Parts: sequence; C-alpha cells; structure tokens
Amino acid sequence: MESDGLFGPIDKDAERNPMKLTFKKTILAALLITGAVVYTTKSTITPEAVAQDAPAPAPAVDLTGYWTPPMHEDALERGGGSELGDYAGFALNEAGRLWALSYDPSRVTLKHHQCDAYVSPYQMRATGNFHIWEERDEHYHRLVAIHVWGQTTEGHRVIYMDGRPHPPAWAPHSFRGFSTGKFVGNVLVVETTHMKQGWLRRNGTPQSDQATMVDYFVRHGDHLTNVTVVTDPVFLSEPEVRSNDYYRNIADHRAWLYACDDGEQILDRPADKVPHYLFGQQPFGSEFEKVYKLPLISGKSGAESVYPEFMAKMKTATDAQGLALLKPEPGKRNETSKAVDPNPNDGQIHVLPIRNNVYLLVGDGSNIVVQTGDQGAFVVNSGAGKLTDKVIETINKLSPAPIQFVANTGFQADLTGGNAKLYHAGRDPSLVGSFFSNQNPTAGSTATMISHQNTQNYLIDLKTPSDALPTDTFLEDRRRKFHNDDSIEMFWEPKSVTDGEAIVVFRRADVIVTGDIFNTTMYPVIDLKHGGSVQGEIIALNDVLNRTVYEHEEDGGTMVVPGHGYLSNEHEVLEYRDMVVIVRDRVRDMIAKGATLDQVKAARVTADYDTRYGQNSGPWTTDMFVEAVYNSLKAAK
Amino acid sequence: MSFPKFRGRVRNAAALLLVAGVSLMAQGRGGGAPAGPPPTPKAAAPFDPTGYWVALVTEDWRYRMASAPKGDVVGVPISPDGKKLAEAWDPAKDEAAGEQCKAYGVGGVMRLPTRLHITWQDDNTLKIETDMGKQTRLLRFNGAQGQGGDWQGVSVANWERSIPVMGPGRGAVPPGGSLKVVTTKMKAGYLRRNGVPYSANAVVTEYFDKMEHPNGDSLLVVATEVVDPANLNTPFWTSTHFKKQKDASGWNPTDCSAR
Repeated sequence: MESDGLFGPIDKDAERNPMKLTFKKTILAALLITGAVVYTTKSTITPEAVAQDAPAPAPAVDLTGYWTPPMHEDALERGGGSELGDYAGFALNEAGRLWALSYDPSRVTLKHHQCDAYVSPYQMRATGNFHIWEERDEHYHRLVAIHVWGQTTEGHRVIYMDGRPHPPAWAPHSFRGFSTGKFVGNVLVVETTHMKQGWLRRNGTPQSDQATMVDYFVRHGDHLTNVTVVTDPVFLSEPEVRSNDYYRNIADHRAWLYACDDGEQILDRPADKVPHYLFGQQPFGSEFEKVYKLPLISGKSGAESVYPEFMAKMKTATDAQGLALLKPEPGKRNETSKAVDPNPNDGQIHVLPIRNNVYLLVGDGSNIVVQTGDQGAFVVNSGAGKLTDKVIETINKLSPAPIQFVANTGFQADLTGGNAKLYHAGRDPSLVGSFFSNQNPTAGSTATMISHQNTQNYLIDLKTPSDALPTDTFLEDRRRKFHNDDSIEMFWEPKSVTDGEAIVVFRRADVIVTGDIFNTTMYPVIDLKHGGSVQGEIIALNDVLNRTVYEHEEDGGTMVVPGHGYLSNEHEVLEYRDMVVIVRDRVRDMIAKGATLDQVKAARVTADYDTRYGQNSGPWTTDMFVEAVYNSLKAAK
Repeated sequence: MSFPKFRGRVRNAAALLLVAGVSLMAQGRGGGAPAGPPPTPKAAAPFDPTGYWVALVTEDWRYRMASAPKGDVVGVPISPDGKKLAEAWDPAKDEAAGEQCKAYGVGGVMRLPTRLHITWQDDNTLKIETDMGKQTRLLRFNGAQGQGGDWQGVSVANWERSIPVMGPGRGAVPPGGSLKVVTTKMKAGYLRRNGVPYSANAVVTEYFDKMEHPNGDSLLVVATEVVDPANLNTPFWTSTHFKKQKDASGWNPTDCSAR
C-alpha cells in the first residue's frame, strides 16, 4: 500500500483496475456528481490524455446518423451539372480559369479518369446521402474519429479527433485528404490537408493537390450545416467559402452506386490523346453567359464575382473584356509554383514506410527507395550525396543485412550523388567465391550497381569516378530479379527525360519508382542532349499508368515514388501525363502554324500549370521546359 | 496497470471540490451576495454578431447576382400554386403597386448580394440593416413585439446553447451557441428575385453561427428554413455566408429594385 495523501491508502486492486470503485472512490464520485466544474471538464479526460497533459476536449456534439442534402442550392450544378464556362462565384486566379477553360468533359472517358473520386469539398456538396458515425476506443470510450461516408463516389472521410498530427509533406494524398477535428463550442472544426487534385465544380473548375480545407459542422436539431473553406494557392486567389445543408433521415440509405471499374469507352483512341481545348478555342466558353443573357465577364472574373460590387461592374462590362478572359493575359510574366516544398530541408533523413518491406527515404535532394530483407538491401537511387552518411545509417537501421544492390533510374546528379558511398558501404555476397573472385579478390566486398547501359554511358561521359558507376547494366527493355521475397523489375523508358531512364517495379509490394520521369515538384526535365523527348516522356508516363491499379475510386493502390516530390498513386501520374500532353499539343499547334520559339514562349502555353510547376529561375525554368518541348517536336518532324 | 498522474489529478480535483464546497456552504450560512438578475441577451451572447459583414456570393450565383428568367425555380421545392405565381411574375406590376421590395423581405433578403450592419439596438434587440434595399430587421429576444405586416415581419430571437454535459442545471454550460430567429407575420414576398413566392403565412427559421478561420477571417453563416405550405411542398433550406469587414467599406445603400 502507498499513501495517496488526501484519501489515505489506495487499494492496489483498484489501482490495477481503475474502473473498480472502492468505498473512498465512491465518496469521491458522489462528490464529483454534485456538479462541480472541475469534474465536468476533467472527467472526459482519459488517463492517457492526462498523462500527456492534453487539454480537456470540448464536449462532443452528436453528429451521427443518416443525413440527406435537400439540394435547394446550386441544384443544377449538383444534379445534372453546370454549364461549361460557369465559374461565377469562384475565386479562380488566371491559372485556375485557364485550366477550367482547357477542360473537355470527354476527359472522363479516359480509362484512368473514369473513376475519379470527389475531393472532400466537392464530396460534401455532392448529391447523395451521408452517413456519419463515431469511432471510440474500447477502453475509455474516448472519441477517436468521426467518419463521414458519402454515397457519391463512396467517399469515406475520416476526421481524427484524437489529436494526432497531420502527415509530413512527402506523405501520400487522397481524394478525401487527411482530416483532424476539434469541437469549438457547438461547432466541429476540421482541418484537411493532403488532398489529390480534383474538382470544385463538376464542369472542370479545378482544385489542386496543394489545396487545404477548413470546414465546420454545426447541428440544429435535425438540420446539419457544413461550411467548407478551401484555400488553394495554385488555382484560387482567396479562400472559397461554401455551405451545405442536410436534414436527418432515419432510414439507412445504404449504398447508391457501387465501386467503380473503368473500362473501354472509346476504342482505338491513341494512348497520348487527352481531351482538352486549346487556349481560346473552348467552343462552350461563353455558353453560360449567352444562355442566361449575362455579360461575358460573368463567369470568368474570379474573386471579383463573389462580392456585391460585381453587380455594378456587370452593367458596364464589354464583350471584349469577357473574350479577353478566355485566353492567357498577353505579355504577362510566367507565374511560379505556389506548391509546398515537399522536402524536409532539415539535414535529416526521414523514413516513410511504403508497403511491405519497401521504404521511402526523404531528405537528400531526391527520393531514395529501400527494400529490406535477409538477402540484403536493394536501394533505388542514392540522392544528391550531401547526406549519404545518414542515408547509410538509416538503411542499416532498416535492413538486417548490408546493401547488396543500388539501382539508378537515370544519371542525374541528384539521383546518383551518393553512389560511391553506397557502393563502398554495401556487400554483394552472391559474388563471393564465384569466378569473379578469382579475377578480383575484392569482388563482392561492395554493392552491385545497376542501371540501363545509357545511364552508365552518360556518367562515363561526365568522368564519373569508377566507384560511382553502375557496372551491372542492361541494354534492352527489362532487367529482373527475385530479391527479398519480391519480384523486382527494371523497365527501360527510352527517349523520355533521357535515353537512359528506367523505372523500378516491386511487384509484390506494388511500388513503382519512376525516377525523374515523374515529379510532383516541377515540369519534367526533358534533356534533349541525352536523348530525351517529349513524346518519349509521354510514352513513359503511360507505361507507368499501364502498370498501376487503384484500390478504390482512383485512390490508393499501387504506390508511385517520384524522383522528386511526395509519395503518389496513379492519379498524380495521370494529372502529370495530362499536363505534358496538353502542353505538347499547344506547342505542336503553334509549330504547325509557323510559330517561332519566342512566339511560343510569349503565348504562355503553360499558363494554367505554372502556379503548380513553374519556375523563372534555377536549374529548370518554365522557359527551358517549353524550349525542350518545342525543340523536341521540331526534331521529330 | 497504474495511472499515477491520473490519480494525482483526481486527488487535486477532489481537493478543489472540497474547498469549493466549503466555500459554498459558507456563503449559504452567511447569506452571501444575493443572486443577480439573469444577464441580458446582449451580455449573454455566446458570440459577437455585430459589425459589418459582406455576402460571399458563391452559391446560387445566377439567382442572386442577376435576375433569373421568369419561371426558373430550379432547386426550390415549389408547389403547383407557387409555380403559377412564379410564372406570373411581373416586375412592372410590382413597381406599379409600390411593391418593388418583394425580393427584399425576410424570406429573401439574406440571400441578396448585400452587406449587413449588425448592431444592438438595445440590450434585448439585435438590429440587422442591409445596404441592398435599405432594409432593417429587428430580432427581439424578449418576445414578439409589433403587429408585423411589413417586409421583415416579427422576429423572435433566442440564443440556443447546448445543455450542460451532466444535464440541465448541473455542470458547466458548454461554450458556444447559435442565434435562433423565428419570423412570422411578414408581407408576402419572393424567395428569389425572379418572383419565386412565399406567402404572408410563411414561417422563416434561421440559425446564425459565427465561425473563425485560422487566417483571421470571421464568417457569419445563416442557415434558413422557410416553411410555406401555400407555395412550397417541403421546407426550403439555404445557408448563406458573410465575411466580417473591418469597417463600413463598400457600404452602399441602394433602393429596392423589382428587376
């Protein structure tokens, strides 16, 4: 027995089982039930929370049940779908407006787009019923999460209520994103990050993968209101506020649709065809205004159209002003990326488990992937080389055996910068005692480095030291290994960003490492001097897409590791592929009309993507990308 | 399993309770200060609704920023009789009858692209003024007053709060709350500017909530239910949001317009 001071000795049995009330604790409980503030605020705290000195949570409001949106607001948009070109009331910036105008609804006939889910803000506004339920821990009945399930696209949103942090910037995105909530008074306030690119409106009004949302749930009897505030530095000039209503429905509405499967909708369409409209050629761009007899600026004026003053502006607006909004503003300097830097930039190597025994290492300039097992680590790319010692230290913690293989997806310096150190840190037991040992007594005392032959050639051209050179090379389409209980394949992606690129596929783990064929941070670095081409890049991206499988409604499934940027799925590759195709088509159209490179640059053919990928300085600018596309297309003629 | 910190907190809580209990008993014995009158609605407000607010017209844009065509009732659960009235809308007739404010009545005014100026007229009355149509709404917390019969009718207001976690009269009242307003006795008007009608017998119930965004913006959200069996098959629900302004910038009083 030990003293608990105020109430004397503690019953050890009760200490072991805190739910068991002793006489003294019964007295205590009786005192507490007299209704003191202290108890009402502290009683909802679990022992764990107290131990963590967590603040007392506000009382939860019951949001559970089945909820039906009455659809009295924006009924056309949410039902049949709004007109193309109707972006009125959306604070779209120029990039957002042009992205929307370029959008052709036929894009959803593309196989990978057919099952696009809704991002959370649109999900909350979509037609279809909702089911909300709570998840509580079994021991203390503490609220762990609130689940919101929407019938349309079977959108399952999880709002964590247990104070967990949001994932890091390099973590995967999903259509619903990652949500955490807390009650502020009678309002549930939810913050959502890590959403995929999707729609704010179903007519192509875009929301980028950089968007975040704060939304609010407040219940008045059987009336639930949800207010969404979307902040999107890529496509919006100010936060977009919308509110949604639902009434309580006592019936379980069950599912409405079913898990989407894609299929062939248009046969014989070329793989590099993405439905879109060239700038200024959207045939329905002014349909909204013409049908409803509105000035042509009405649906295209961005944040201005949100405020009452816009009524006066509409009265004096000219057609010319409206038509000018259908194209990029001439003479304007290219915008630059507003995306969050997905790199930690803290001098540390961070580990993100991907699946099974495959891990992502982040921090040294580019993404490094490690597969572990008792055969020895299989490493894909070696980073920029600034933090290689920490990379090796991290791999050694993850892997029970030394590094056996290092594969390079390309020759770029920030993918191969750590090659030499990894080479020396590794060991390839398969060579020890083989005939290689007869020729070279040190055989097997280092890692074996693998790449496509052209990558080795490029590195030799750069006078790369021999211990940083891949020596185990392949010449044609595929290299394969069964290693650490997984089938690993390397596929050559010729003439993509270079002519030495390869992707690495972990078949059992269902992970694809793309190298610089795909990035979430910048336009593809198409290196014409090393055999790169825009057409090869599109083919390579399509090759990745041909190997991916989504888990549900275009979410999850095959994990894709870009050369730079956050861990992705096929949807990110898809949007990237669309971007490359669309920019190529614009440049190709201008070439066909006799445009010079300067004219193409002046036309701002990337204007709708620059706030996501663009740079005006540094090693790979928007102009360099456009020039690479231009010259690649000219060379192919 | 042991929860030493938890146990410590329980001890502390119990100690506080005992002290509080002794203190309460002492007050009772000695007479203490008499309980004062309940706070006024102004003093009891769980949030401050006052100030200038601007409508963010991000929904039903076409119906709010422009006048939709006659008979366009998309989204409204209109009844057959209501549909007939909507199709008979004639703004010239309204003007001739001096009823150009029909779309500015309580059933529609909060939906207009307007600014609001909200003040306490007195401790029991919240006043909402609009610059669009120059309307004034009086939300009375001390019961219905007035005969109504005008565009804004008679509005009865209440602060709606959650009950304490341990039941009424016990424990702390959870923070936060909403403003509930029920309006009746108004003149018949329009839900939308293109003549979608509500009758003088409609009941308009509104909930006002204030929400703070991490970027510093304050939002006022008004969830509205219009019940009007004469013109609607089911209640008509909208929620309208306003952003707080620092000052009266943009305040631009304009007369009602039937068009």
